[in-house]
Amino acid sequence: MLCEVCDTLGPQSRVRQRAVPLDFSFNALADRRFVFFDHALLEAVKVGQPATHEFFRLLALCHTVMSEEKSEGELYYKAQSPDEGALVTAARCFGFVFRSRTPHTITLQEMGRPATYQLLSILDFNNIRKRMSVIVRNPEGRIRLYCKGADTLLFERLHPCNQDLMNITTDHLNEYAGDGLRTLLLAYKDLEESEYEAWSERLQRASKAVDCREERLAAVYEEIEQDMMLLGATAIEDKLQEGVPETIAILTLANIKIWVLTGDKQETAVNIGYSCKMLTDDMTEVFFVTGRTVHEVREELRKAREKMMDSTRTLGNGFPYQQEKLDPPKGSSVLEAIPGEYALVINGHSLAHALEADMELEFLETACACKAVICCRVTPLQKAQVVELVKKYKRAVTLAIGDGANDVSMIKTAHIGVGISGQEGIQAVLASDYTFSQFKSLQRLLLVHGRWSYLRMCKFLCYFFYKNFAFTMVHFWFGFFCGFSAQTVYDQYFITLYNIVYTSLPVLAMGIFDQDVPEQRSLEYPKLYEPGQLNLLFNKREFFICIAQGIYTSVVLFFVSYGVFADDVTQLADYQSFAVTVATSLVIVVSVQIALDTGYWTAINHFFIWGSVAMYFAIMFAMHSDGLFNIFPNQFTFVGNAQNTLAQPAVWFTILLSTVVCIVPVVTFRFLKLDLKPQLSDTVRYTQLVRKKQKPQGRRLRIVGRTGSRRTGYAFSHQEGFGELITSGKNMRLSSLALSSFTGRSSASWIDTLRKKRGTESPAAQQVSAGVSPQGAEASQVSGGVPLAAPETGATGPAGGASAPGPASITEECAVKE
Amino acid sequence: MSNRKGPPGSQPFMKRPDNTAFKQQKLPAWSPTLKAETVLPFFFVSGAACIMIGVLLIITAAGVQEIKVDYTEERDCAECYSLRLDRANSIIDCACTVFFSLSEAFKGDVFMYYGLTNFHQNQRHYMVSRDDAQLVGRQYNLKNPSITCVPFDKYKNGTPIAPCGAIANSIFNDTLQLFYHTDKNTETPVPLLKTDISWFTDRTVKFQNPSPMDNLTAAFAGTARPFYWWKPVYQLSVEENNNGFVNEDLIVWMRQAAFPSFKKLYRELNRTQEFNDGLPAGNYSVKISYNYPVGKFRGRKSVIFSTVSWLGGHSNFLGVAYCASGAIILIVAIILTVVHLKFREKPLGQEEE
Repeated sequence: MLCEVCDTLGPQSRVRQRAVPLDFSFNALADRRFVFFDHALLEAVKVGQPATHEFFRLLALCHTVMSEEKSEGELYYKAQSPDEGALVTAARCFGFVFRSRTPHTITLQEMGRPATYQLLSILDFNNIRKRMSVIVRNPEGRIRLYCKGADTLLFERLHPCNQDLMNITTDHLNEYAGDGLRTLLLAYKDLEESEYEAWSERLQRASKAVDCREERLAAVYEEIEQDMMLLGATAIEDKLQEGVPETIAILTLANIKIWVLTGDKQETAVNIGYSCKMLTDDMTEVFFVTGRTVHEVREELRKAREKMMDSTRTLGNGFPYQQEKLDPPKGSSVLEAIPGEYALVINGHSLAHALEADMELEFLETACACKAVICCRVTPLQKAQVVELVKKYKRAVTLAIGDGANDVSMIKTAHIGVGISGQEGIQAVLASDYTFSQFKSLQRLLLVHGRWSYLRMCKFLCYFFYKNFAFTMVHFWFGFFCGFSAQTVYDQYFITLYNIVYTSLPVLAMGIFDQDVPEQRSLEYPKLYEPGQLNLLFNKREFFICIAQGIYTSVVLFFVSYGVFADDVTQLADYQSFAVTVATSLVIVVSVQIALDTGYWTAINHFFIWGSVAMYFAIMFAMHSDGLFNIFPNQFTFVGNAQNTLAQPAVWFTILLSTVVCIVPVVTFRFLKLDLKPQLSDTVRYTQLVRKKQKPQGRRLRIVGRTGSRRTGYAFSHQEGFGELITSGKNMRLSSLALSSFTGRSSASWIDTLRKKRGTESPAAQQVSAGVSPQGAEASQVSGGVPLAAPETGATGPAGGASAPGPASITEECAVKE
Repeated sequence: MSNRKGPPGSQPFMKRPDNTAFKQQKLPAWSPTLKAETVLPFFFVSGAACIMIGVLLIITAAGVQEIKVDYTEERDCAECYSLRLDRANSIIDCACTVFFSLSEAFKGDVFMYYGLTNFHQNQRHYMVSRDDAQLVGRQYNLKNPSITCVPFDKYKNGTPIAPCGAIANSIFNDTLQLFYHTDKNTETPVPLLKTDISWFTDRTVKFQNPSPMDNLTAAFAGTARPFYWWKPVYQLSVEENNNGFVNEDLIVWMRQAAFPSFKKLYRELNRTQEFNDGLPAGNYSVKISYNYPVGKFRGRKSVIFSTVSWLGGHSNFLGVAYCASGAIILIVAIILTVVHLKFREKPLGQEEE
């Protein structure tokens, strides 16, 4: 439910559940992607209720959207905030089509009839006003002011006779806000010619003022925006990309700390923070750091820390000893272990001070103690600095994800850079390591593919060290018997082929396909991500264990064979038979080992493991064949060896014994580890097996419903300055060029000029991409690139712009606590 | 995949990986885990199997009879031993005899080995000092021994050595003859086979005389014997098919031992007349033409007689190793069972069961 006329005349029906979308076929100019469900509203428009018409007329007139009509009836809107775009599109579909504008006119098509309004002035939006108005002269020559803005501010400026309607509207607004929608009040006011003339003069004067121009203008605006008549309210779902709150929740559970670095204003950032559940109402406190001087910032940070410490003390009263035990003697750890949930919101200008050399540690400590950190109004350079700061002091792996060009520096600074491909151009995508179109893909990237990747890499490395030590160290033991004369134990061809043919593919298959738990489970149990953060699967200890295992294997391989060969079994004392025996044992032992390591036996694993062993025998028999010897007698001196050696039962007993002695300790230790200290992944794996036997269960994780208690004001993503641009007509001259290159990010375009003015990126230009991630494809590049929301079933019809949670930087912390 | 080409951006799904089980990492798979129900039985079964194999091997090895006579400095061989310490005496013949007795008969096939200790046939430079192309009878290599044979490739005058290299040069050249003493004064020579003591592939494939094979003197014309040999390679034996490069004593020697102490097959009992069932119990002597010097490298020489089983020789190593491993595995299995029943941490799922 986005936009709803609330007038006393129109019935209020809210269609929540799946319903038939409205048919806008009466309107040739309707946007086909727009879906709406309230039939009563369309009825009201068709019947011609004046209030309803006025409501949509306002939406079509009061905005700073630019239109482009490439061919007749094919309209494209370029809105600087997606909210506006959505509202204008809604009006368009209900029959009030905004077609074009010049600096002084706006052309509409009202229920099929063209109408040109003279644009007298735009009372532009700004942060303080939180509203915008246009004054237009309609085709009949009457002057009217249309205003839309934040409810709190607009209610004060309404004519007293609106009291009844106001009460009803307030109820509706509360309802919308409860649903987490962004509300907007619409009002109008008729102006007398003389009244306007007088005001216009005052405006002229104010705008020519040399000093305090802004304030003067605001005061003049204020004068005329009084005693307005309420038309209704709109509600826009600030639709984040699908799955953003869930993703953030899951990543938080996976012990990943998330910082949002955004160029948005503080309100927008906080708003987004709430809507993506980074900030919640049950947080103990949200600290706002907005100081403009070094001193202020330091003071604010200190206060925040003190508050957190206080709570530690008061809460820790009951069990002071435990508290002490928990805390390792580290300076920062006190703050790491604080109870309660805190959040830190810091402004760009404060951040500039906080990032100075003498304060950065303080800032980092405070920030790390908070559950959520939001930095707003930060410049691209600051984004990179923040990431750098975390990298420098926290020994953490950092991941930066963003969609805009101003995220590039941050993406490049972080260990892992992820670009969201969408409306913001491709700079971020080009600079990133991974790219996808949906923020929610991040959970799959980290928890599924990242996790698997780590697991595979670690297993791969361990096995590689192991098999090469097992292979090589045999020579060391042999050295004691051949006078360290560098005589190899194996046939030269075995040495050549061991690593590239006999043992490479099984470990490669494991490195590609291995999964300890299925993907659904790794999303269900984000804690499974922890071993990677704690560096548990491959560290010095694991490395030495691999090496020790390799050396042990080489000892067994050599000395078991030595026992047999030195103790002169008939016909078996020669070097070449020894070589074949040890080599065969080695290949079989490492193959059994990789079979033990492989946790996920696909057909390919089977093929490679069995194939490698088969290949070993095939190649050995070929190398030891008469044919090759007859061609190169000096190269294939092992002729006849395979068949003679392997015909001896004693050789097979040797191989079997070596294998058993090598593998049994491995199985023993693994079993003990599993039995006594099962890792979470083992448990999950086990339950998976149990579950498979039972009936399959549904997903455990339910999508959390949207609840919110925040009443949002005027679209926070809105920017000031556009009204002036439009009336000056500067953008018009360039408009066609600029508009065509908008998506391509032409550097000369007015949009860039605006961007520079704002110093940051447009926060919500990221629209919902229509694509649905293909079944788990890695970094799938699905960019719908639809300017409006995709048609969806269900109540959440077409949203306005759906903003990604801004360019967020996610900082993944290695749990410092442990 | 490659057939989906187009200008960038023309197809939004151009880069999308194929929705196949392979690319989407959804291949059907078997995920085994180490479960007590499989691991513990595996341990018990493999432990028991190892012990059974071990016992079988020990019994088999126990059925093999073996006697080893070290003749390095035995009786009159001691003189020969000291004589051979000086290289200058190598032209002097030295013969000696060692005696041994069998308390019980060696039944079945009996093999006679010579054993050497502290002789590093596995030394790198020694091992490569041979030319297999020459040994397979290639004319070119016969006249131009491989560089690996240096310095045992040619005489100073350029005459190539056949067979070249250190291995052939150092061939074991003691002659051992076995006699059976039926009583004090009569000694019967025990018939021994000189052939079939090497691998079939060795004597048919790996070693070949140069042509013309029916006239080895001509075939080896233009080559000379190795430095330490007394006779050229075509006079190693009087038998046609056991001469030259295919002489089995040479072949056996050329198959290098893996370790410094080794034994090599010398002769096989020719089971005729009174030796039809093997070597009967009684007194024996071995007459030795003592040529091979071992004093310089502190080696020992011995002659070994042994019967064989399907498994091999009189070695208990494998049997004992299997028994020991089996026992350890069984102990581990018991420990694991106890640990599993008493101390294990129950995984979440098990409690639900």
